[in-house]
Amino acid sequence: MAQHTLEVLVENSPGVLARVAGLFSRRAYNIERLTVGPTANPEVSQMDIVVSVEGHALEQVIAQLDKLINVISIKEIKPAEAPEVHDTQPDYQN
Amino acid sequence: MSQVTGAQSLVNSLEAAGVDVMFGIPGGAILPAYDPIFDSKIRHILVRHEQGAGHAATGYAQVTGRVGVCIATSGPGATNLVTPLADAAMDSVPMVAITGQVPSLAIGTDAFQEADIRGITMPFAKHNYLITDPAEIPRAIAEAFHIASTGRPGPVLVDIAKDALQKMTDFKYPTSVNLKGYQPRLAPNAQAIADAAELITQSSKPVFYVGGGVIKADAHRELLEIANLLGAPVVTTLMARGAFPDSHPLHLGMPGMHGTVAAVTGLQKADLLITLGARFDDRVTGKLSTFAVNAKVLHCDVDPAEINKNRFADVAVIGDVKHTLQALIPALKAALKKNQPDLSPWLRQMNSLKSSYPLGYDQPSDGSLSPQYVIERLGKISGPDTIFTSGVGQHQMWAAQFISYENPRTWLNSGGLGTMGYAVPAAMGAKVGAPDTTVWAIDGDGCFQMTNQELVTCALNNIPVKIAIINNESLGMVRQWQTLFYEGRYSNTSLESKRVPNFPMLAEAMGCVGLSCERPEDVDATIEKAMSINDQPVVVDFRVHRDAMVWPMVAAGTSNDDIMIARETAPDWDSQEL
Repeated sequence: MAQHTLEVLVENSPGVLARVAGLFSRRAYNIERLTVGPTANPEVSQMDIVVSVEGHALEQVIAQLDKLINVISIKEIKPAEAPEVHDTQPDYQN
Repeated sequence: MSQVTGAQSLVNSLEAAGVDVMFGIPGGAILPAYDPIFDSKIRHILVRHEQGAGHAATGYAQVTGRVGVCIATSGPGATNLVTPLADAAMDSVPMVAITGQVPSLAIGTDAFQEADIRGITMPFAKHNYLITDPAEIPRAIAEAFHIASTGRPGPVLVDIAKDALQKMTDFKYPTSVNLKGYQPRLAPNAQAIADAAELITQSSKPVFYVGGGVIKADAHRELLEIANLLGAPVVTTLMARGAFPDSHPLHLGMPGMHGTVAAVTGLQKADLLITLGARFDDRVTGKLSTFAVNAKVLHCDVDPAEINKNRFADVAVIGDVKHTLQALIPALKAALKKNQPDLSPWLRQMNSLKSSYPLGYDQPSDGSLSPQYVIERLGKISGPDTIFTSGVGQHQMWAAQFISYENPRTWLNSGGLGTMGYAVPAAMGAKVGAPDTTVWAIDGDGCFQMTNQELVTCALNNIPVKIAIINNESLGMVRQWQTLFYEGRYSNTSLESKRVPNFPMLAEAMGCVGLSCERPEDVDATIEKAMSINDQPVVVDFRVHRDAMVWPMVAAGTSNDDIMIARETAPDWDSQEL
């Protein structure tokens, strides 16, 4: 199965890690690796998530993740190319 | 600025959010909030079980289109709200639940009546909050109402620690809500609208596949307009009954596991599904890989995550379905001027199916009462302005099939979660939201025994709902599956509800009028008697035939092509040109 790396900006609020981890668990997506760290903005944290999914499932992972209120933006990091910005709420400008 | 308690700030915030009624029960952790509630202009209805508060909030929301509000204490009070919150999530109901939590310093210590309700509701609530600082209460309430009511509606829980309710704070209600991670898209993309119009004009066998989103978005007028404009057949899912008039000649009825032959087959044989606020639920699609295999899909939904979830969309329009249809109608008019497809052969096929396979049922040969007949008469006598709620099971399917729905927000049921016990508390909430409208709950004898205590609430609070118990002394739908798939081995589905309880006496004990009916010739008079009582709740025990089954049926996990119109009886496909 292909591995995809998602760079997810989230509001730095209590429970946000549980929200993200719980989403992957209940929708049966596999997390290969997850790191959480601060950003220059103390109100925003960054999660780097490596997920193993095929085809349309990646689109669903991103769409479902984007429904979490505390998730601000999601970028798929592709090796050796510019990041592809996924934002299923297109009104939001990254 | 004068200081108020967190509790007063909460009540002020609820008033500022426009709340006029809430359903709840006090308890230790939420007790500080109940003191200012005592003085508030918000009507608080004291229910008998928190689950009743939750479903009542749903019933109120489904009828009015406004946010339903329920309130409970920590621990068991909060966990009793879990089922209605999950129910509201599955059916996209705007709801705000307020719960008390143990004092902030006690959180995590297994304190008395402590439950991590934020953690418990995280998987299905649209969003939730745990508030430990009274200064955060107004913002949390404002955000909760915004999130619950916009985009795809859903339930939001606000859990507030007891000390946050007790401490002093400044009350200032926010004038706007700004959530960086939540900006639902309402206006559709112009290119997507153009693509949608183009796709529609290329179709010779289109079907409007209409879901509950059309009712949520108040888009029924636009639906009527576009259906008449294109002249294509319409199906309305269980959640969409009433979104399109049943009397309209283009209406094929309800699709899905217990849908009409015309609606199920219409979707199967279509070359285009014009999908409006629907989500390709397994109860509609049957075995997904065999669902509408030759159809292209136009999917219009406010929730981007529904696109390509179960079924690939050839064209997706993300946006509020009312906005979408308002944009699509002129685009389609223009496109049809250039290219008007001939839908008449398709309509002929559908009308042939509709007339060959109308919904029907057999009267029991022993002269006993048919459940379908009771429900049909309720619909006819009560009329199209009546609001119907139902529980879950056979009676729910018959109520969806045999009542003619002409108006949106007149049919309330638990479609997604399938919550037995929904009917009585939902009817209570519906009647509070629409006090001048007749509200009938069509309930099963199994469902009724789960939540009937709210009839006490109704009797004491002048909420005169009417309950029709379709008493087949069984968990009827489970029994039907046992008949069909478990060789008639009726393991634990006999409730013996014709012996115990005595429903009319139970109703009288709860301050309602109790009636009973078991002969077909008494049905109309009994319904009319119930209709004549408007100062008290009424419960009618309709003692019906036990072996009636819900048909048509697509067995779970099978293809919609294998629809059966009766036991071991498929439609006569050879006589249909399809």
